[in-house]
Amino acid sequence: MTIDPILLALIYILIFPGFIFLTVYGLFLQWFDRKISAVMQNRVGPPWYQALADIIKLLSKEVIIPDACDTVMFKILPYFAIAAVVTAALLLPIWTDALCSFQGDLVVVIYLLTIPTVTFFLAGWSSTSPYATIGSMRVLTQLFAYEVPMMLSLIGPAILAGTWNISEIAGFFTAHKPYMLAQIPAFFVALMALQGKLERVPFDIPHAKNEIVGGQFTEYSGRLLAFFYLAVDMEMVVGAGLINAIFLGATLGTAGILGAVIFLAKTLAIVFLLTLTKVLMGRVRIDQMVRFCWQILAPLSMAQILFDIFLKFRLG
Amino acid sequence: MKIKDKIILWSRLKSPWLLHFNGGACNGCDIEIVDALTPKYDLERFGAVLKSTPRHADILVASGPMTRQQVKRIKRIYEQMPEPKFVMAVGACACSGGVFDGCYSVVSGIDKVIPVSIYIPGCPVRPEAILDGAVKLLGALEASSK
Repeated sequence: MTIDPILLALIYILIFPGFIFLTVYGLFLQWFDRKISAVMQNRVGPPWYQALADIIKLLSKEVIIPDACDTVMFKILPYFAIAAVVTAALLLPIWTDALCSFQGDLVVVIYLLTIPTVTFFLAGWSSTSPYATIGSMRVLTQLFAYEVPMMLSLIGPAILAGTWNISEIAGFFTAHKPYMLAQIPAFFVALMALQGKLERVPFDIPHAKNEIVGGQFTEYSGRLLAFFYLAVDMEMVVGAGLINAIFLGATLGTAGILGAVIFLAKTLAIVFLLTLTKVLMGRVRIDQMVRFCWQILAPLSMAQILFDIFLKFRLG
Repeated sequence: MKIKDKIILWSRLKSPWLLHFNGGACNGCDIEIVDALTPKYDLERFGAVLKSTPRHADILVASGPMTRQQVKRIKRIYEQMPEPKFVMAVGACACSGGVFDGCYSVVSGIDKVIPVSIYIPGCPVRPEAILDGAVKLLGALEASSK
């Protein structure tokens, strides 16, 4: 018996590793992050169902739309954020090869992951409250700071592998495992840039709650807020999955259940590193953040690219 | 009760998000509210998180005797919170005016301005009392819906 390929693709998009898997795993990662940071701070931390309870509660709450805001934009932006993140997930190799993979899908994923940030900016901007506006300006400032180092750090492995295809880059690193060690600086640059993209400590400047209340989400409540939080959680899965695919060789040539287990283990390790960064550091100012990204991360990733080009010539 | 309502009630009980409001308190109770959120008492194990905007909050944790200056502000903040919402009056002043009762500049008690769900007396309240109050509020919410 053969299964209809369209049905198979629908299952891929909606259930695994598409929407439902991303939701469940994103909520799990949120809990994992909170629990690990609680343990590091010597406290008990939230129970395992915490992220789920938060989302259900927000979904069941009243949605308030302020009079002053741009109603249509205000309502549709959370769905755009979720749609962009889920689409990016379809291009990543998660348990086997990606659903669609082509030359240049690395660039597509990077730009799809920029869309949630742009929706955060527009969300703050269209709520027109002063705190939300300041928060959204900070979102954009931060975007210009971390986006370039992130892209540069992902270009290094692409040059070394000689391809713009995420699955082929992963295949290259699976075949030549020692080269992963040569990518450690770019790996850390990508981790820090991902921390900025996810707006976590030390780069949670856009929604720094003791400075500007709730940042870009100040006016959001109920269902719309729940979808934004869900988009951030999913972005964590996709960001960790992207770093896993580019730097750690994705599934390491396996497929099926073993591939999924390897994916889960490696993304958990990446999220653990992100949590460690979050717990170790306090929030920096926006100018310090921009300076850090442009004076340390960007030159470091450019040096990595240079090194990769030389290594590539050496290999022939 | 339908299963959908049960799930929603469960999620409400497990995820109370707090908003802290100082209505002219001497800061004693505010320090104790902050105390309750520190690692030692760890309110996050009940799912409580301190939020800073009324739009995200479920429980307004208010302290102080409510000065006349603050009355219209707390009303506005209360109205900005999405339903369902609850108010915790923390400290003797918030419950009845405390030592400021009858003073020309205060209205003596938060319940004169907005409906209060639970009163937590003490001057200042102990963090354990705040935790106990939060648990009792959730318990009452659960009991009232049965």
